[in-house]
Formats: sequence, C-alpha cells, structure tokens
Amino acid sequence: MEQIIANGLYLGSQYALIALGLTLIFALMNVLNFAHGQMYVLGGFVTYTVYAQLGLPFIVGLLASATTLAVVGALIEKFLFRPVIRKSHREESTMLLAAGIAFFLDAVILLVFGEKQRGVPKIVNGVLNWDFRIIMPYDRILICVLTIFFIAAFIGYMQYSKTGRAMRALAQDKVAAQLMGVNVARYSMIGFALGAMLAGLVGGLLVSITGVNLGMGGPTSIKAFMMVMIGGAGVISGAIAGGLILGMLESVGLSVLSQYGDITYLLIFVSLIIFLAIRPQGLMGKPWG
Amino acid sequence: MSPLLQVSAVTKRFGGLTAVNAVTFDVAEGEILSVIGPNGAGKSTLFKLISSFLRTTSGQVLFKGERISDLAPHKVAQKGIVRTFQETTIFKNMTVRDNIIVSHHLRSNASLAGYFLGTAAAKSDEAEFGRSADEILGFLGLDEIGGELASNLPQGHLRALGIAIGLATNPSVLLLDEPFAGMNHDETMRTVDLVRGVRQRGITVLLVEHDMPAVMKISDRIVVLNFGEKIAEGTPQQIQNNEKVIEAYLGSEDDAIGI
Amino acid sequence: MSRSKQIIGVAAFLFGVFVLVPLMIKLTGRWDFYYTLTSVALLSIASAGVWLTFYIGRINIGQGAYALVGGYVSAILVVKYGVSFWLTIPLAGLICGCLSILIGLPILRLKGVYFAMVTLVLTEVAKLTALALPITNGAKGISSIPLPGAISIFGLTIIPDFSQLASTKLAFYYLAVTLMVLSYAGLYRLVHSRIGHLCRSLQQNEELASSIGVNISYLRVIAYSVSSFLGGIAGAVFAAISQSIYPSSFQVADSINFMLNCFLGGLGYVFGPMLGTLVLYFGWDLLFTTGKFQLLIYSSLLIALMLALPNGILSLRLFNRKKAEP
Ligand SMILES: Nc1ncnc2c1ncn2[C@@H]1O[C@H](COP(=O)(O)OP(=O)(O)OP(=O)(O)O)[C@@H](O)[C@H]1O
Ligand SMILES: [Mg+2]
Repeated sequence: MEQIIANGLYLGSQYALIALGLTLIFALMNVLNFAHGQMYVLGGFVTYTVYAQLGLPFIVGLLASATTLAVVGALIEKFLFRPVIRKSHREESTMLLAAGIAFFLDAVILLVFGEKQRGVPKIVNGVLNWDFRIIMPYDRILICVLTIFFIAAFIGYMQYSKTGRAMRALAQDKVAAQLMGVNVARYSMIGFALGAMLAGLVGGLLVSITGVNLGMGGPTSIKAFMMVMIGGAGVISGAIAGGLILGMLESVGLSVLSQYGDITYLLIFVSLIIFLAIRPQGLMGKPWG
Repeated sequence: MSPLLQVSAVTKRFGGLTAVNAVTFDVAEGEILSVIGPNGAGKSTLFKLISSFLRTTSGQVLFKGERISDLAPHKVAQKGIVRTFQETTIFKNMTVRDNIIVSHHLRSNASLAGYFLGTAAAKSDEAEFGRSADEILGFLGLDEIGGELASNLPQGHLRALGIAIGLATNPSVLLLDEPFAGMNHDETMRTVDLVRGVRQRGITVLLVEHDMPAVMKISDRIVVLNFGEKIAEGTPQQIQNNEKVIEAYLGSEDDAIGI
Repeated sequence: MSRSKQIIGVAAFLFGVFVLVPLMIKLTGRWDFYYTLTSVALLSIASAGVWLTFYIGRINIGQGAYALVGGYVSAILVVKYGVSFWLTIPLAGLICGCLSILIGLPILRLKGVYFAMVTLVLTEVAKLTALALPITNGAKGISSIPLPGAISIFGLTIIPDFSQLASTKLAFYYLAVTLMVLSYAGLYRLVHSRIGHLCRSLQQNEELASSIGVNISYLRVIAYSVSSFLGGIAGAVFAAISQSIYPSSFQVADSINFMLNCFLGGLGYVFGPMLGTLVLYFGWDLLFTTGKFQLLIYSSLLIALMLALPNGILSLRLFNRKKAEP
C-alpha cells in the first residue's frame, strides 16, 4: 500500500510538471502543443550529452536542458506560432503547425542524437528500505524531491512575480489583459518558453532514471493530454491534480493489474471517457459551451 | 380553456446568483406576450428555460398541460416551441435560402436513410421545403437575397432571417429574443408588422425586447422582470402606469429605456 | 457543374484508375507503383472518414484506432475462426461503427481542442490494448494471414482465389480502388443529400441546430460511426495486403496524417481527402531518396506550408462559396 502511494507520488510529480508546461501554453495561446513530448525528449538528450558525454555535473546538464528548451520554445513561438495565429482564423491551423513541429523535432533528435536508448550513470547510489513497506532507490527520491521543488517554484513564480501575474491575467481574459496594458506578444513568448523549459527540465531529470529514447515523445504528449483533460485545460491546479491522479492510477494499475497484462491504460481511458461524459470541463476547469 | 403555455414557479440559480426567481405566468393561444426588464433581469435565461436549453432549478414549464422542462431542446422544438437567439444566430456559411430550407427539419417525412437513398418521400420533402422556403422568403420580404451568403447580411436582414428560421420549423409558439435589436425606427416598425403577420399565421409569440415604444405597440400583454422576479403583469396600459415598473427602470440607470 | 460534365468527369476518373493506370504500369514495368497506389486508396478511405467528422465540426485524430481495430478484427476472424476475408470487410467496418457509437456518445459532446485530444489519446490506447490483450497476440501481432479466397455464386467464380493469381498486387489494387470509389460515392451522396445539409448545420451552429429540432447528439454519432466504419474497412484490407497486423501498424503518426490529408486536400470538398492523401503519400515517397533527411524535409515542408497558407483550407472554402451563389 505505502509502496503504491510512494510510486504514485513519484510518477505523479513528474507528470504534474509535464502537464504544467502544456497547460500553461494552452492557457496563454489556446495552442495544443503536440510537440510537448518531443521537447521532453530533447531535454533528456541535452542532459545526457552534458552529464554523460562531457562529464559535467548533473545540475549543469539540467540547466543546459532548461536553457536550450526555453530558447527553442521562444523561437518556436516567435517565428512559427505567432505568424500563423495572426493570419489564421481557425484553431485547426495551430494544431497542424504543432503536429509539423513535433515531426520536425523528432527528425532533429533523430539526426543529432540517433535512435538508440541512452542512459546516464546513477546520480546517487543506494536504496531506501523502510521495513519492506517502501523500497525506493535514493535517486528516485531525489528526483521526486527536485520535481516537487520545481512545481512549488513554478507556482510561486506564477503567483508572486510580475511576469507570473501578467501571464495569469492574460490566461484569464486576453482582451481585458490587453486593456490593462499587458504586452500580449511578449508574455505569450515568455509563457511558451517557460512551458517548453518545464518539459525540458523533466526530460533532464528523468534521463537519470529511465534514460531517454526517440520513441518516448509521442506517448509522453499523450499522457500529458490525459492529465490536462482530467484536471481541466488551462488551469494550473488542474494540471497538478491531473498529473497526480494519473500517476496514482498508473501506480495502482501496475501493481494490481499486472497479472492481466498491461490493460491499465485501457481502463484509465475508459474511466476518463466516463468521467468526461459527466464533467466535460475536467476537475478544475471552467464550464464551457 | 386552459392556457397554451404555463410557466409555473420557475427558478434558475447559477451558483449563488438567482437569475430567475419563482416566475409564474400563462400564455394564451394566439397572443403576443412581451417580457421586459432591465439588463440582466433574467429575460434570456427565462427563454432558455422555456425552450429547455437550461434546466430549471425548480418549478416547471407546461405546454398544453404537459411538462416540457427537462426534455432535450430538440424535443421541445418538436413539440412546437421554438426559440430564436439574442445574439444573431444563423448558419453563417449557408445561403439565406439554405438556412431556411435546413430549418424545415421538423417537417420531414423521410428518414435519414431515406434522404441518403433519395426515396420518393425524400424527394417530395425536398420539393416541399424549397416551396415553403420561397414562401417564407416572400413573407419576410427577403426574396431578393435568397442566394446571398448569410454572413454577408446587414443586421436588419439577419434579424429577419432569424425569424424566418423560426417560422420554417412550423412552431406553435415562437420565442423571439430582442427581434428589434440594432434596428432603426423604420426597420423596427416594419418588423413589428412582421411579428403581427407571424401571429396571423396562427403562431403564439413571446418576445423579449428593450424597445419600449415597439413593445407597447405590439403586445397584448406584458410581463416585467427585475432581478429575476416578476414585478408586474398586464396590458401595455397597466404596465405603463405601474409604480413598481417605473421604479425598476429608473433604478436601473438605463436611460435608453425611455419610459 | 452541369450534370453531363459531372458524368464525363466521373467516367474519366474511373477509366483512369481501372484501365489507364494498370496499362501505364504494364508499359513502364513499375510494378512497385501498385503497392503505393493501393496504399493511397486505402489511406484515402480512412481519411474520408476523418473528413466526415470535420464536416460535423469535430477535429478527429483518432482514425488510427479504428483502422487498427478493423485490421485486427479481420485478421482474427480469418486466422482464428476461418471466416472468409470478404465477409470480414463489412464486419470490421460494422464492429468499428458500433464501437465508435459507445465511444462517441460521451466524447462527441466535447468540442475543438478537447475532442481532438481525446481522439488522439484513443489512438494510443488502441495500440496499448492491442499490446496487452491475449487475442491480439501482443507485440508479435498476427502474421501470415492467408490471402483472400475465391467467391463464387452458383458455381460461377466472381472473385478468384488470390493465392492462385499471377499478380496479387494487381488484384489488391483493384480491390482497394473499388472500395475507394464506393466509399467516395457514398460520401458524395451523403454530403449532397439533406443529411449533408444537416451536418453542415451542426458544423456551423450546434445550438441553433438543436433549436430547429435537430437531434444533434444522434446525428453526430451517426456521422462519427460512418467515419469509423470507413476506418475499419481500410484497416481490414490493409491487414490482408500486408498479410499481418501489429500494434504499431496504425499509430498516432498515422492518425495525424489522416488529419493532415484532409486539411491539405481541403475541408470543403468531398474529394479533398483523396487528393490530400495522394499528394502527401507521394511527397513522402519521393523524399525517400533523401535518406535520413526524409522526416526533416517532410516536416519542414509542412511547417512552411502552414506559414505560407495558414488558411489554405479556407481558400478552398471561399471557392466553394462562390459556387453556391448563382
Ligand atoms: N450561464 C450562466 N452562468 C452564470 N450566470 C449567468 C448565466 N447566464 C446568465 N447569467 C446571469 O444571469 C443574469 C440574467 O441574465 P440574462 O441573460 O437572462 O439577462 P437578460 O434579462 O436577458 O439581460 P439583457 O437585457 O442584457 O439581455 C445575469 O446576471 C447573468 O450574468
Ligand atoms: Mg438577454
């Protein structure tokens, strides 16, 4: 039991951090970032290069991942999404663009890093064994703590910094924010960079545990979509709730259902559909038309 | 004779806000009844409750003595209660005539499969809808613009198209939400005549309107809402002299009302 | 377009696909083209389904799931239960159609990005389910599916046994193209009948549609199940051609490609998805010579296309609108 909760918390915190980035981008620009998983993979490869290839400290790898993805995110927003959003009248256009970008990042990752699974040396050794009730390697605990720290830092930033407040105003009501003098273009770019940065950060964190490979991008995006739908799109608390819930469900599923084969996700999807039938806006989302 | 439509103690709460509070009134067959009140009084919400686009928190709406609250909106439309929208609501990317033709849905005799296969019933439906659409176009004076794309129409024509869509369903009760909005005096007077014409077709009309002169001119009876509650009901003359009504409008600081 | 022009156009198209293309291939000896064109025909059937969901105003990125289910249904029926392949085509379609009713009833209430997200998840879930269930045989999938057998009525052979044929490629080409022609003829009829008119009313304004008495949830589910039916039959034939089906036979990228086919071809035009599939598939195939840069160039072109023509779709709609006016 304790083991399941611990695993769920460990998974859930990573998921929440991924979902936060996705939901931030969605809230600010109404863009469904298909490339989120690919950004996560890219972050993993950057940390892998810095930490395993160049032999620099892990934290430098994390910083490199975060910076790279922030820059990539900012460029993507400025040179791709912004012109398309300005010129198009339909939300499908940005969806297609996002799909194109996902393919593009896949191609770049393939060319630069190859398609092999890559891992890095453990950052800390040893395993916590609490009376055989919870068994968890120390590196997972460290990553979990770091993840929760980043989530807290993100919330703090959104809550108390000037930029964070401006972005929240923008997410709430674009027109009103504009009237209040919020520079929409600027904060959209910052928001996109921040969302991409979070994806890269999680990629960098997890490469130390699960490693990274090209194929992880798509499924990661899909999981992020599920979390966002559970919690409600564009809501920060919803992303966190969605991430934790999915992590817990997965953890329960893996331990309880493992003898029936891997039908966890089928069950989660069926529950999600039933849940959406009752509450289409998700747990914390605002009701919409 | 029992009334056609009975609104009985209907209440709607949105969270803490009571948008419509225990409103009760009857609508007789063949009359034109207006619902008036300051902005936010709950008029549109009341229409949505009658047409079942919203669920009542409590109370019910009866049509010919039969409860219609909680039915799906299309079921209520099937019974003959059809609503037009306050916002200009049309099928934008269709021609005016196609807007009206598609709105004949409730008059279809053929099934979906029938339409796919092109059965005799489907063919006669389609011919009939075309004829009827032309008749409605003529009735509303829209014949000239039947081939025009609906999104290209000016405001006045849009309102008329909204009414045309309502007429195409062959309703017994038509709910018009602000049919004169955005019209100048001449256009309003023409539309007043139109609404009278609608009644002449045997259709009972409920309307929400802010244009007081038009309301006074057209209505048989008036129901006044304020903050979700019914504060008065009566003939235009009774309403004009009602203390509560005057107070409600003065209190609302809405000088566009003009009473 | 006048009636006679229309008939000539259709006749020319049929002549082209059924006579001219095989003739050209025979003359040039490019037998590999059959596989390409067969794939285009099948993928364009699945894309036609996606297009129909667009037509009721929903962005469907879940067609891969139904193609996968269709493929498995056919493969399992043929391999495990010895059902004739020909019967499994409609069965695969029907099972997908029924499945989509169950899934569609709740999810069709979602709109825009939300519907898109759920359907995308659906594709992934279909793949994970295929990996997990015993009947689908996990990651190994189902392989060595026998070729389609003969059909005869009263001793008269209508369709020969594929394994006895000199060229199965040609046979599958004819099969795929025939199905494509039938699917698009059906879709054309649907869209140009009153049902299409009602679908357009849903696309443009669901609230108004229900206020004129259209049962919108019913119509949405019907359209979605027709869409899934098309995905199912495409998947079934695909499994028969490759004589195998794996969880990865149709995945998220395929679902996205179905959507791209529709956009590229244009949403206002029934034959748009066919054109879009042809262009995208051939484009992808042509880029094969660029080796490892294939995906990079392909995705760059897609992005460039979106930048240049964010309303490429819309321009086609304008074209349609002009036609609507007399
Ligand atoms: N879906 C909703 N959720 C929450 N509150 C709502 C909703 N719809 C209406 N309201 C509130 O209910 C009240 C009544 O609104 P309603 O639209 O019925 O007013 P109205 O009389 O039609 O006003 P107007 O003259 O401006 O059209 C308003 O305070 C409005 O903000
Ligand atoms: Mg109103």
